[in-house]
Amino acid sequence: VRDLCERAVEAALASGASYADARVVTRRSQHVLTKNGRVEVVNDVESEGIGVRVLAGNAWGFACDRRLEPAGAEGAAGRAVEFARAAAGSHHRDLASIEPAEGTYRTPCERHPFDVSLEDKIGLCLAAEEAMRRPEIKVTQASVRALQERKTLVSSEGTAVVHELVECGGGIDAIAVSDATFQIRSYPSAHGGISRQSGWEYLDELGLVTEAPRVAEEAAALLQADVCPSGTTDVVIGAEQMALQVHESVGHPTELDRVYGTEASYAGTSFLKPRDLGSLAYGSSHMNILSDATTPGGLGTFAFDDEGVPARREHVVREGVLSGFLTSRETAARIGAGAGGSMRADGWSRMPLVRMTNLHLEPGEGSLEELLAGVREGVYLDTNRSWSIDDKRLNFQFGTQLAREIRNGELGRLLRDATYTGITPVFWASLDGVAGPEEWRLYGVTNCGKGQPGQSAHVSHGAAPARFRSVQVGVQT
Amino acid sequence: VSAAALDIADAVLRHTAGDEAEAIVLTEHSGLARFAGSEVHQPTLIDNATVTVRVVRGTRVSVALTNRIDDEGLRDVARRASESADSAPEDPTFPGLPDREPLPDVAGYDEETAELAAADQARLAEAAIAGAGSTLAYGYFTSARTELAVASSRGVAASQAMTDVTTLVLGAGEDLSGYAERTAWRVRDVDPEAVGREAAEKASRTHGALELASGVYRAVLERYAVADLLEYFAYDSLGALGLLEGRSYFTGRIGQAVFDPKITLADDSLDERGLPKAFDFEGQPKQRVPLVEEGVARGVVWDRQAAAQANDAQPSTGSAVPPHVRGFFGPIPLALSLAGGEADSLDELAQVVDDGIHVTRLHYLSVVDPREGVITGMTRDGTFRIRGGKVAEPLVNLRFTLSVPDLLADVPALTREVRLVNSSSYYDERYPYGVLAPALATARFTVTGVGSRPGI
Repeated sequence: VRDLCERAVEAALASGASYADARVVTRRSQHVLTKNGRVEVVNDVESEGIGVRVLAGNAWGFACDRRLEPAGAEGAAGRAVEFARAAAGSHHRDLASIEPAEGTYRTPCERHPFDVSLEDKIGLCLAAEEAMRRPEIKVTQASVRALQERKTLVSSEGTAVVHELVECGGGIDAIAVSDATFQIRSYPSAHGGISRQSGWEYLDELGLVTEAPRVAEEAAALLQADVCPSGTTDVVIGAEQMALQVHESVGHPTELDRVYGTEASYAGTSFLKPRDLGSLAYGSSHMNILSDATTPGGLGTFAFDDEGVPARREHVVREGVLSGFLTSRETAARIGAGAGGSMRADGWSRMPLVRMTNLHLEPGEGSLEELLAGVREGVYLDTNRSWSIDDKRLNFQFGTQLAREIRNGELGRLLRDATYTGITPVFWASLDGVAGPEEWRLYGVTNCGKGQPGQSAHVSHGAAPARFRSVQVGVQT
Repeated sequence: VSAAALDIADAVLRHTAGDEAEAIVLTEHSGLARFAGSEVHQPTLIDNATVTVRVVRGTRVSVALTNRIDDEGLRDVARRASESADSAPEDPTFPGLPDREPLPDVAGYDEETAELAAADQARLAEAAIAGAGSTLAYGYFTSARTELAVASSRGVAASQAMTDVTTLVLGAGEDLSGYAERTAWRVRDVDPEAVGREAAEKASRTHGALELASGVYRAVLERYAVADLLEYFAYDSLGALGLLEGRSYFTGRIGQAVFDPKITLADDSLDERGLPKAFDFEGQPKQRVPLVEEGVARGVVWDRQAAAQANDAQPSTGSAVPPHVRGFFGPIPLALSLAGGEADSLDELAQVVDDGIHVTRLHYLSVVDPREGVITGMTRDGTFRIRGGKVAEPLVNLRFTLSVPDLLADVPALTREVRLVNSSSYYDERYPYGVLAPALATARFTVTGVGSRPGI
């Protein structure tokens, strides 16, 4: 495979490219989804190919080929240079300098998920579903997923690195329906559960079957719950919802390609400007956001990114102040800070883009109960149900599956159909407490969309429950 | 032109050892020249072929996919599907693979478009950039030749070659942005320069945007916004699983008046103005499926599995999606078509609205309450106040949280002209689809907040 990459790089240089890199990716994944006691999905997917990225003149070019043979590699290299030349730019493109890297990274894995039989995977899903059965529940569903990816990157600057990644995860949902309403509860997270870079031991830790009765009970209870009242109030947001809050309102706006507008036509831009680095008040002093491509189990964990930049661990927000951006070599050179390290591509057929790796809200101190104790009247919110944020990542609105009244520091009645909304820096400025390390959890999503053509990134977020003052809950019309 | 994909499908079937088997082959030859700041910065050429094999043993069903289409790869994917089928439990609701059905003749393939090469795609992207003039352009030009084939051990042998072209331009500056997009299956039906010009012209009117108080406003929605709202509403409300599982707004409402009588909505893959398809991912014939007629809910789209789950009370409407993505939503309409009205222009709609807002496009929609069709999102790249029946000052991006049925319950007018709006973001394998939509005027567009200003 390394030979094939080298061939592609050499072909690109011979065609006139000043820089080239080639990635061969072979990926296999399994997905099992059961719904209402029947197997809805049993997928076993494999995909392989080579993607070649070139810099020719002042323009990037990218082409790919599914054939892992010399003709495929050299053909892709030639087409990439041809495309770059056809769309020649006038802006000079510098790349932050890096040392050529060599190495191999493997996900630590006790039990490879492909060593677990399909029968066992299906059996786990059906057992979890069975444990959710109760009269109020109209739909039960359970899913598990597993992925292995072998990726070889070779560049014209001498980088040659190999990654062998293993992921797995799962989740369950109970959906309760009455004439009046439709309610859902999920575990361990909404939208398909949580995944980690890990062996099957992670599924054992999740305890999908054990948690199932509680999930169903909560979904049924939501049918009888009152609608969450609208108004401005204090909120405590659970760790799971905080993970998405970090993703949408900190992760995406700190991607430097968005700041420079290169994502404007699809995912959007950012309210941040390059000049804000080191000075912009993003939030209160309780806000510390760490980008960490070394987090054990993180879906964004690697040794080198897709430009061969070593994994980095650095704050993007420290004590409330913007202290870093997520960068590529090109954007790092442009801003004159950092050295890249966040370039990731979805498989072999897409160009690398600036993506989150693992982005965490660092824990504060104390327990969830201690956070709640500081609220005389408010709402506890957790588990995402809907999410939307504007193109500059300022105005957001999230809905949650579950809400509970907070009165005099204690959780009260269950509430349904809760939403909360805010303006990113105003919202984060109202943060006045993050629970401690014992409440901190690592979440992982596999559907972070960006780019044209679209790419899905796998990213993780660690978060603990957090308390915010004077937040708009519900819709104001 | 469509023999290649069908040949691959036939070849993989020869390796299946199951009782019944079905092969779906989707090939892609595409180029996308993405630009930002009026320069192409992410040009991507893709050549791929994806083979999906569904093996059925009794009522045990499994699916495997590969993009290795040599003999070894096809043999291996067939083996993996067969082994997985052995592991799957019996599914008494599985209706079996379908028989061969006569298929309609459809348009949707254009040789000139199929032959566009990287240099053409780059040239057409440059044309879009040029159209925006001095306004910086962000967007892309893309074209593709795709081919879908479905073959099965029960005699299904369907294939269709398709072409698609899209130009999308966001004309933008520090405090201004405007949007335009055109999609077609013939490159001669898309004028990239005109798209760039339209986006820049729209952007030029967004400087100095003002805020707006929350409330319910009369509004003109351009077809981009209409298409987005319909698509998000459709995920839960216009597919069979949503109906069966109680997520759909249409649950218990089929046959009832749900929208304004001017609203007639169908799923119509046969319409030449769209991106025509002859068959679904089970090889079943496409048809025009009435969803709403003159405001009355008529039905949703079905595949054979959902029909079986409903005890065959409904036939398949030829709406099966690929088996590996059926998952949560099940069959969904991929060719929504909203009938036009009698207004001749957006200006005429503004006159109807008199006092309200003009919305060009939407951003980051999310379903808040599927049962009630409540959706939230932001407006973007061309939001204006309408005063005295005319488009007036620009507005900042607005958050809306509204019930789609409520919005469609009072529609004073729609434009006569209906245009295709692209729906694909080109994730995974390319399969062109879109929405045929007019612009419309509504009496009820619920604004719930303000967000960022136009511009980069």
